[in-house]
Amino acid sequence: MLKVEHLTKVYPNGTVALKDVSFTVNDGEFLVIIGLSGSGKSTLLRCINRLIDPTEGRILLDDADVTKASSGDLRQLRRHIGMVFQQFNLVKRSSVMTNVLSGRLGYVNPFLSLAGIWSRADRDRALKALDRVGIKDKAYERADALSGGQQQRVGIARTLMQEPRLILADEPVASLDPVLSHSILQYLEQLNKEGITVLCSLHFLDLVHRYATRVIALKDGVKVFEGLPKEINRAKFKEIYGEEAQEVRATTVEEG
Amino acid sequence: MNLRRWFVTGFFTLLVIVAYVVGYQVTEIDPVKLFSSLGNSQKILNDLIHPDLFTRATQDTTLDVVFPVPCGSAQPAQLPNSGPRIVPNVECANPGDVITVKGFDMAPNNDVKILWLLPSGNALFSELARTDASGNFTAQVEVRPITVATQGIPTHLQAETPVPVGGWVPSQALIDVINNIMVTIFMALLATTAGTIIAAPISFLAARNIMGRGWMGTTVYTVVRAILNITRSYDSLVLATVFALWVGFGAFAGVLALTIVTVASLGKLFSEAVESIDAGPIEAVAATGANPVEVVRFAVVPQVIPDFISFIIYHWDINVRISTILGFVGGGGIGFYLSQRINVLEYQKAGTAIWAIVLVVWAMDFLSAEVRKRYT
Repeated sequence: MLKVEHLTKVYPNGTVALKDVSFTVNDGEFLVIIGLSGSGKSTLLRCINRLIDPTEGRILLDDADVTKASSGDLRQLRRHIGMVFQQFNLVKRSSVMTNVLSGRLGYVNPFLSLAGIWSRADRDRALKALDRVGIKDKAYERADALSGGQQQRVGIARTLMQEPRLILADEPVASLDPVLSHSILQYLEQLNKEGITVLCSLHFLDLVHRYATRVIALKDGVKVFEGLPKEINRAKFKEIYGEEAQEVRATTVEEG
Repeated sequence: MNLRRWFVTGFFTLLVIVAYVVGYQVTEIDPVKLFSSLGNSQKILNDLIHPDLFTRATQDTTLDVVFPVPCGSAQPAQLPNSGPRIVPNVECANPGDVITVKGFDMAPNNDVKILWLLPSGNALFSELARTDASGNFTAQVEVRPITVATQGIPTHLQAETPVPVGGWVPSQALIDVINNIMVTIFMALLATTAGTIIAAPISFLAARNIMGRGWMGTTVYTVVRAILNITRSYDSLVLATVFALWVGFGAFAGVLALTIVTVASLGKLFSEAVESIDAGPIEAVAATGANPVEVVRFAVVPQVIPDFISFIIYHWDINVRISTILGFVGGGGIGFYLSQRINVLEYQKAGTAIWAIVLVVWAMDFLSAEVRKRYT
């Protein structure tokens, strides 16, 4: 469903974040991107919904060229691509409900949304999304009154409002403790099983082994590995993370 | 090398000394004047710290007391000891005596005509006295031979003067000052509101993180910033002078000047608040397919509202201060009243205005601090 071809990103200050990266994501995959901090994982994910404009290369979502889309077309494309962030990126002062409803902005009449008017259907959809992630009772609390794990669940609920076909998750559990990590990733896994393709960057290898159907690895903006999680052996690990790297486990909890 | 450094240091020290000496002379600094002028300005300063606040209605009245001349020619009067009254120091006197007459509880600072009502029914003017600030007077009155009682009819001692009637009421000055200070407060309110309505949208155009780094965004950002910077360099007094010439003297000119000052100042404060927000929610809302206006509405506005409110209240406070002086250059409100009273030398009324300004500025300062403390 997603084809990334020869993607290169050079920032104005000369940093080369991505160098000629190509890969394909198939329908229904849980593709995990690994690599050190600064290896280009976040840039890659942001190029796919063009929060960052790539310097060169093409990104095809089904047959639509994301890289060439006009701003109107891009908004249409973005509706189908959900995104979950490491820092949750909720509006802290707004209610949980408003944060979740904002996920629907790509669909609604802008004049009504700007006035803060939401249809009954969208409100019900938001409550349902919150119910799915188990925090329906928090709907009318301020977002910053919630714990980190709960905030990330709001982030997922916001994404569900888009009825996405693809979810980009940028280190979704890096700000959470290990037990919560599993709970969040299990929600993503559940969505994945229901047919939403997931593209997720992760730090911890044990999480990769547990959730990924396929893995690509980036090092200094270059794709250095593409394959199944079990193919990452000791040698590959050293290649991706450098000679001095030691594997750290996120947790020993297997099933939540 | 060392010598050169000494030379440079010495040269700049000399320059600084020259600057201060010249400065001292051209600004005509004269500390002695502070004290030597105190005598001349004491009356004015006294008026300023005794504002004209309350007054009582007055009525021209003739106060009357029976005064037998010579003693024993008639029954002396029973002297009242409260209310407006005149009191001679003796009950009676002989022709040729000089008596002291005191008056109490009359209208302050007014003329008192002291006269004799003769047995013939004719009035004889004797003295002109003046009541002090408390409404009392003291006068020396000569007992002339013509005042001798005839056929048992005694002469009366009389004083014609205004006497206060009724209770204390706010003085005209106080009423005028209250009206004018209300005008000033409303000037500040309207200017702050208009300024906010204009500055809030502009501030987003002057925020780097909203306008992005594209050529169009950069152009708009640069132009708006430049306009704000240029506008801010015009002082409110200069603007008020210009507008007073344009639309005529009065509060409207003041409101226009204040509005521009407010836009320039709030535009900058707002845009800095916008620039300091968390960028994460912007990314998140943009990623849902929202259009740029929706991104601002849902990701930026909720984050900046507390700062905006705090700045608005703060600026209303500032605007009240500024508008008190805008009147001096034709901006209307309390400043205009104050400058007029000073021009016609009515310092007590000026004092009323000054006290009102102090009170209102203090109250605004206190209120704005309290509200901001509670809200943020």
